[in-house]
Amino acid sequence: MNPAVSTHPTDSGVLYEARDLTKKYDDGQVHALRGLDFTIRSGECLSIIGPSGCGKTTLLQMLGALDRPSGGTLNYRGESLSDHRDASAYRAGEVGFVFQSFHLLPTFTAAENVQLPMFESTRPGDERRERAVELLDAVGLAHRKDQFPSKLSGGERQRVAIARSLANGPSVLLADEPTGNLDSENTGIILELLFRLHQEQKMTLVLITHDMGIARRTPRAVQMKDGRIVFDGKSADLPAFNS
Amino acid sequence: MNFLTVVIRGLMRRPVRTGLTLLGISIGIAAVVALVGISRGFETSWASGMKTRGTDIVVSSMGNALTPKPFDAAVQKRIAALPNVAATCGLLVELMGVESSDMMIVSARDWGGFSWKNLKIIAGRMPHDGAEKAVVLGKTAAEILKKKPGDKLQLENDELDVVGIVDGGAVVEDGSIILALEQLQEISGTQGKINIIDLRVTPGSTEAERTRLKQAITEIIPEARAVVASEHIRNSQAYRMINAMSWGTSLLAVLVGILGVMNTMLMTVFERKQEICILLAIGWKRRRIVNMILLESALLGLFGGIVGVVIGIIGVKLLQATPAIRGMLEPDLNIMLLLSSIGIAVVVGVLSGLYPAWRSSRLTPSLALQG
Repeated sequence: MNPAVSTHPTDSGVLYEARDLTKKYDDGQVHALRGLDFTIRSGECLSIIGPSGCGKTTLLQMLGALDRPSGGTLNYRGESLSDHRDASAYRAGEVGFVFQSFHLLPTFTAAENVQLPMFESTRPGDERRERAVELLDAVGLAHRKDQFPSKLSGGERQRVAIARSLANGPSVLLADEPTGNLDSENTGIILELLFRLHQEQKMTLVLITHDMGIARRTPRAVQMKDGRIVFDGKSADLPAFNS
Repeated sequence: MNFLTVVIRGLMRRPVRTGLTLLGISIGIAAVVALVGISRGFETSWASGMKTRGTDIVVSSMGNALTPKPFDAAVQKRIAALPNVAATCGLLVELMGVESSDMMIVSARDWGGFSWKNLKIIAGRMPHDGAEKAVVLGKTAAEILKKKPGDKLQLENDELDVVGIVDGGAVVEDGSIILALEQLQEISGTQGKINIIDLRVTPGSTEAERTRLKQAITEIIPEARAVVASEHIRNSQAYRMINAMSWGTSLLAVLVGILGVMNTMLMTVFERKQEICILLAIGWKRRRIVNMILLESALLGLFGGIVGVVIGIIGVKLLQATPAIRGMLEPDLNIMLLLSSIGIAVVVGVLSGLYPAWRSSRLTPSLALQG
């Protein structure tokens, strides 16, 4: 947990609050985000959906403090993320990332990959190893702990990546197209796993996708187009779009 | 898994490239060990030769050559008469090609002088007197020249009898051809000339008395210098040049090593750009990334240094066995030189890693979401 950021939800339970959130690239030539206003409450499960280039990954970068907004504010537990002095501590303690391409480090075994985020925690080596095996067990891969990523299937790699994202007990799981590189069978397994973890660990789950079917499985959906939010509500009411 | 494991895995990602970089540093460090070891060895070997002969002060005129310039032998008597002088021995030392050997030390000494006393006969005998056309060979010189008592030795245009083999107690003495002063003066046409005076001071002489003695000698023979035996070789310009060249060449080799490591570490940072961004994205601090890169390059330096020292020692031993060097010097591969060489390698590693580490710290974690 990041000691610099309060781990207690605000009274209102609001985790993220964005006001007029803007992101521009190439000296303002490209508007990736155009004045977004939204809130995400603690423990929520939502999907951000939209066609390629609509700004959903940029939004995820802002939520994960991987990049800074060009304008507006984005608060996490009432504190501005852009003013946050130690973004790495926030990333290490508060959020877990799941990437479309898994992004496991090839020279490390499954268990070692899971241990990597824990280097920024105070856990000693033995505890790191135990925790990694526990997490791999939680995603059903304890028996594959000593395998290198090259020996794992796509679905297994993503499960290892999910275990890694949980390493420091984050409050938020940010998943960027987590099933984008998987077949339908593994897609089902990964989604079930993410929803189960969300339920069991009371984590906030933000799922980026361009798949309407996946978006409809989360209670709330935020639809984006050309850097703007065009829909924010129950996923059952989500209007169809061309991806 | 600890942080060091992470660092080593980074190095093992491209084992061939890591190995080649390591070899690059090793060669640089081997050059340092070999060149500096030989250069220092030259100094210590000569100093040890002086010590074995029981010389306290050496009077000579070290010019540009490795052997001193000849001067009038008559000054020896005047120096011998100075206060605090216990004994003197005039020498004429030359480096010359002898039969099959390209270069050997030929050391001619006042017959009966104290510089003969350290020689222990191990075969044959000593010359009967200074007039006998005879030489004794240091044991290494005898091996190099393949001579034994009873053989003949061609020195310039003269043929001398090898009458004995001696143990001189020092590498330089063991590698020398030793004969009476008048014999070499005749052979080389330098009658009445010597180029070294070995001098023993009266036991119990104070430092001030020694200093006064050295000054008095310089007044008698201004073109020469009287120095403590151990510092004698350092006054040779040729030696200084060799020393400077050793360090210069070593420095160049080290510079090549720095560029090699820097190139490897930069390639590593470029190749692992996304990997580094992923580590940043999962919460690694930039400082940890910088430490990782610096530690990788420092380890390259450390391992390269260790391998380099081993290659250097082997190289020096091989060089030592070559006829050109054998019997003339014993390389000085002291522990300080070896540890310093490894230290230099680690510093090289760290310095080479600074720029790549800085580059890695400028990467933005958002790149992790690309690709």
